[in-house]
Amino acid sequence: MSQKKIHEDQKYIDGLVQNNPFIIQAIYSQFVPKVVNYIKQNSGDAERAQDIVQEVIITIYNQAKEKGLQLTCPFDAYFFLLCKRKWLNELKKTSKKEVTINETVLSNTDDVEELVLETSLFEQQHKLFSEMFEKLGQACKELLKTTFKIKSMEEVAESLGVTYAYVRKKKSLCIGKLTEMIQASPLYNNLKS
Amino acid sequence: MQEADYILFETYLSGALDAKAQGEFEARLESDEVFKNAFETYKQATAFLENTYGNEAETEAFKKNLNAISEKHFTREIKTTKRIKPWHYSIAAAVVLLFGFFIAQQFSTPSYDDFASYDTISLSVRSQQPELISKAETAFNEKDFKAANGYFKQLLETNPDNLEFQLYQAVSMVELDFFYEADALFGKLLGTPSVYKNKAAWYLALSKLKQEDYRACVEVLKTIPEDAEDYKQAQKLLKKLD
Repeated sequence: MSQKKIHEDQKYIDGLVQNNPFIIQAIYSQFVPKVVNYIKQNSGDAERAQDIVQEVIITIYNQAKEKGLQLTCPFDAYFFLLCKRKWLNELKKTSKKEVTINETVLSNTDDVEELVLETSLFEQQHKLFSEMFEKLGQACKELLKTTFKIKSMEEVAESLGVTYAYVRKKKSLCIGKLTEMIQASPLYNNLKS
Repeated sequence: MQEADYILFETYLSGALDAKAQGEFEARLESDEVFKNAFETYKQATAFLENTYGNEAETEAFKKNLNAISEKHFTREIKTTKRIKPWHYSIAAAVVLLFGFFIAQQFSTPSYDDFASYDTISLSVRSQQPELISKAETAFNEKDFKAANGYFKQLLETNPDNLEFQLYQAVSMVELDFFYEADALFGKLLGTPSVYKNKAAWYLALSKLKQEDYRACVEVLKTIPEDAEDYKQAQKLLKKLD
């Protein structure tokens, strides 16, 4: 990881992690109107903008929680570009007719591009992990859900009526199985490169 | 990878390997690319599971909060962007002219004193330091905020996590114009799932009002949910500021 300076707007990321309603509200008041405008000018409406914004915020939240996301550029540029890319992808997927894109001229620095790319990769990875998890056997799914929910392995063993050693071994084998499925997915290798 | 490798990954991540085994493990990571890749993916999968299932309740609380704020924001967005027909502008202009005088009067900026009325408090924790608690309570109720602030500070030294003390200390600090410290305390309370969360939001809005930071005040007011005790007051203030 590079040693870049963390931007002062990191407060928005931290606020999301802390579930601080004041910060969430500030994001909506300060940064969302621009996104809504963009989506409306490009074949969308307020309702679809609402979904795009919400999905992007949840991804940022997940990335911050899982990977300790550190903002190295202004939140405004980062957030806008994430929403914009998501919307354009959505348009590509759903629209059969030609779409005209009213491009707003925005010069994004390398920092913004890099961070947006990182977040998009994280989002795809997260989606892949969820899909692979769903494909695990029922027993593994149950065991993993329980071991991560109840932090103490002893308690998990007791709740499942098995021994501690069994739970420990089974947990590693189930994550191992998940690891193999993820590694076997062509998408995962694309995401890594 | 063998089953034994995955068991080894788990033992390594839980920190249960002894120094020698740990050294060997790390040396293998350096030299064996396949082993290293599998371990990296295993670690990522663990982080994913930890966030998805370990923090499920937190994530749900976050989504709920986000959804509520989003709904509120977009309901207004849709309402305000409804098409206005051109002749409506002239009607609106006439109305504004006609009632200009009255409207101007309505727009006088609200002040902190119009809204800040703190009820008499009765602190609930009585098991420890009953004397100090009673002093804090009396000082606060008699509006001696300087003394109240001192007492709450002392109480928080021994009960740093008591949210009730934090709330009333923050209020006392607003009264004393120690805004920076007060707002930080309110911010902390807003992040808790406690019963003081909505109160903290309302008092934070009042603090912003006193600082004449109207934009921040409006933003805080918008976060106060309908079931909050101060919702009506918040809406009234919001109307005056909007």
